[in-house]
Amino acid sequence: MSAPLTLEIQDLRLSFKSWSGTTEVLHGIDLSVASGERVALVGESGSGKSVTSRIVLGTMQDVRSARVSGRINFDGRDLSSMTVAERRALRGRDISMIFQDPTSALNPVFRIGALFHEVLQRRDRRITKAEARRRAVKLLQEVSIEDADRVLDSYSFQLSGGMNQRVMIAMALINEPRLLLADEPGTALDVTVQAQSLELMRNMVDRLGTSVLFISHNLGVVREFADRIYVIYRGNIVERGPTASIFDSPKHPYTKALLSAIPRLTGGGVPEIEEHSPAFSDPLVTHNMTHDNMTHGSGR
Amino acid sequence: MKRALYILLTNPLSIIGFLLVGTVFFCAAFADFVAPHPEHAGAVINFAFANKPPSSEYLLGTDVVGRDILSRIIYAYRIALGMGLVVLLIAPPIGVAIGLIAGYIGGRTDFILMRLTDIFLSIPPLVLALAIMGVLEPTLLNAMFAVTAMWWPWYARLVYNITRGEKVEGYVLAAEVIGASKKHIMFREILPNCIPAIVTKMTLDFGFVILIASSLSFLGLGVQAPTPDLGSMVSEGTRYLPDSWWMTVFPGLAIVVAVFGFNLIGDALRDVLEPD
Amino acid sequence: MTIFRRLLLRLGTSLIVLIGVSMLIFSIARVIPGDPARIALGPRATIEQVEQMREALHLNEPLVVQYGLFMRDLAKGDLGISLYSKRPVMTDLAEYLPATLELVLLAGLMMVVFGLPLGALSARYRGRWPDHLIRVFSLLTVSAPAFVWAVALVLVFAYFLPLFPITGRIADTLDIPRLTGFMLIDTLAAGRLDGFVSALHHLILPAFALALSGIGQASRLTRGNMIVTYEQPSIEMAQAYGFSEARIARRYAFKPSLIPSLTIIGLDFAALLGNAFLVEIIFAWPGLSRYGVGVILQKDLNAIVGTVLIISATFLIANIIVDFLVSVINPRIRLSEGGK
Repeated sequence: MSAPLTLEIQDLRLSFKSWSGTTEVLHGIDLSVASGERVALVGESGSGKSVTSRIVLGTMQDVRSARVSGRINFDGRDLSSMTVAERRALRGRDISMIFQDPTSALNPVFRIGALFHEVLQRRDRRITKAEARRRAVKLLQEVSIEDADRVLDSYSFQLSGGMNQRVMIAMALINEPRLLLADEPGTALDVTVQAQSLELMRNMVDRLGTSVLFISHNLGVVREFADRIYVIYRGNIVERGPTASIFDSPKHPYTKALLSAIPRLTGGGVPEIEEHSPAFSDPLVTHNMTHDNMTHGSGR
Repeated sequence: MKRALYILLTNPLSIIGFLLVGTVFFCAAFADFVAPHPEHAGAVINFAFANKPPSSEYLLGTDVVGRDILSRIIYAYRIALGMGLVVLLIAPPIGVAIGLIAGYIGGRTDFILMRLTDIFLSIPPLVLALAIMGVLEPTLLNAMFAVTAMWWPWYARLVYNITRGEKVEGYVLAAEVIGASKKHIMFREILPNCIPAIVTKMTLDFGFVILIASSLSFLGLGVQAPTPDLGSMVSEGTRYLPDSWWMTVFPGLAIVVAVFGFNLIGDALRDVLEPD
Repeated sequence: MTIFRRLLLRLGTSLIVLIGVSMLIFSIARVIPGDPARIALGPRATIEQVEQMREALHLNEPLVVQYGLFMRDLAKGDLGISLYSKRPVMTDLAEYLPATLELVLLAGLMMVVFGLPLGALSARYRGRWPDHLIRVFSLLTVSAPAFVWAVALVLVFAYFLPLFPITGRIADTLDIPRLTGFMLIDTLAAGRLDGFVSALHHLILPAFALALSGIGQASRLTRGNMIVTYEQPSIEMAQAYGFSEARIARRYAFKPSLIPSLTIIGLDFAALLGNAFLVEIIFAWPGLSRYGVGVILQKDLNAIVGTVLIISATFLIANIIVDFLVSVINPRIRLSEGGK
């Protein structure tokens, strides 16, 4: 086998119970992220990619109408056999997350500095304000924020979207988590600002060796970022493989449709794809590890 | 719609609400048959049985002149429901029309109408009703008028806010482009979008109208004796506290039962019609 | 700067609204069917007496002139003579308003202190039994008029369990010189701690009776606002960082929803001022209500206009204060002065 797996998901199923019956959202998903690997999960909205990240995070299991089954291993520990408190203990320390709209994700009634302090307390309960600030300044400088002190004294609504995005990246990585979940990071931002912040995020996770599960609806955005790609369609993984291989020779009809819909390299808009085509339900296509630059691919 | 009905009919709280309100309406409609002593709704004097605590003959006791409290409560529901119906038939249409016009036409019309609404809203509701009753004779009809006068601005405010939001929506712009009349846009396009909020508010308000009306008569400014009224029954009863507690407690409880019933339905309705 | 400009703007609009209120209430008082002077003087007064009073009240002038004269006097702090007490309306209001304000302010405080936490608890345990319990309680409290709560509380906590006095503002044996009219302040000013305790003891039950509906209303409102806040991305972010439910409820849901809640609670002050009439009657509280109901039954026009005006003014001032407090809490407004 190759490098140890940070995240391993087998036969993950999710359904919601409502007054009109049960709706299955995920139909048995297999997915893995190796240590230090950057993996993208790509699909249109409603495909089940966001709920997958919420299951890994462990918050979906707390939703009362949700039924989750399957094996989810994080660092060799079985998430499904953990208690609510044990799952929560992982969050903010070993697993962290970046959200779509940074400005609304940051609590509007506290200053950025106070939020950093709160996050750092997840690692070290007794960390002083001064120490927290020192570390926050250091990390903010790493995401190219020059006037870190001003930012720490501001509220999120006083900062630009791009600035908040950097703040959120720094905040997500300040406790040096093993796994970073990035749910459509920066989709709410301008295309150029988004590209910039993704570059910063890439440098950071490179240095820290963080594994990343990147959720996106846009294949173009993940091309530069991901080592490996999973394409998800209506709760099923339809194609998986190294990034280059997927882009060079897409096999599944749905992946081809997605690729043809990328207007530019980092195009922002939602791809215009046919609502449904019978071919999209074709069986899973797996690319073999033929590219030697894919050092940590699991390639099953 | 089906889903809404499903939720309303399976939610235990709204079922209780329907039961309470249903009972109240039934009693009011068939008071002559339901009330054990229908004649006690009037100016009957029955000193032999005055001031009696609850017994099998007088389930909720009798008042100082010997009238059955249960019978008087049942007849008082007639007045209370009638009050609610009249006020909610008159006040909402006035408020809705003003809110729609101010919100859609905008400009000076908006300014004048909404400042007028603000003026009404900045007098505490009960105080406004009191002031109006102050210059009028205390009769049922005048009480209805006073309560209606204080009630319409709330609907104007509600509909105004919704209209301001809907005005810039695509479907309104589309109707404007094809040259629909202002009247058509206001009443055919925008109004249907206000209906859920209005219906919810009306259900909740039915209870509150009963509450305000009983407050007026509690202060002696509503329905006059001998017509039975919940507020004035409580007011009379307080003079005989604590010994003849049933004279105040049961009419008071009767108000709570009716208003609580409407509020339960209104609350459930809001959850269904206005998620968030 | 911005806060002060906001404050000034609010003061300005409130003043305009208040002038509107005066016009409204003035016209209501003058469209009275029949002759106000005749009604005030009673059927046995002579025609000369009635005519004299019509002159005194300027009833022979056109309505606009009457209003102008009324405003001229009002600017001098003169609301005319009360036909009910035969004293200047201003004097009467100054005498009765403090007792009502003391009651309403304590009730408002109770509303915030009990209502907000109840609503927060309800939202935090949404759909579970504490939520159901609090929701039913809140709905029940808003389903009864204040006088019913007053009667219920008196029966239970004054008659059956004699924990609180039934009527009055302070023990009869105490004689506190009147300074502000606020019993809690006057007793302290007189250095009478026993008086303060007695006044508070007398105040608690009526204030709670007045506050109960407001507590329910505040709790319902806070629950609603917090549930909306719970849908915000910042909550999900807090969950993603593994903060405890209690911490999320306090810092991520409650605090941000405090701002809209407080604004609306300021508006609920209107209900407190109105309901004070009902509660004061049950507790024989010597406030505005006894006077107000008296003047209404007597058709005492000057006093009716004065009472309504003073209550509306109180309501508007209360809202300006709440608005000010909210803008101090709200960093968005507080910081909108410099830069971006």
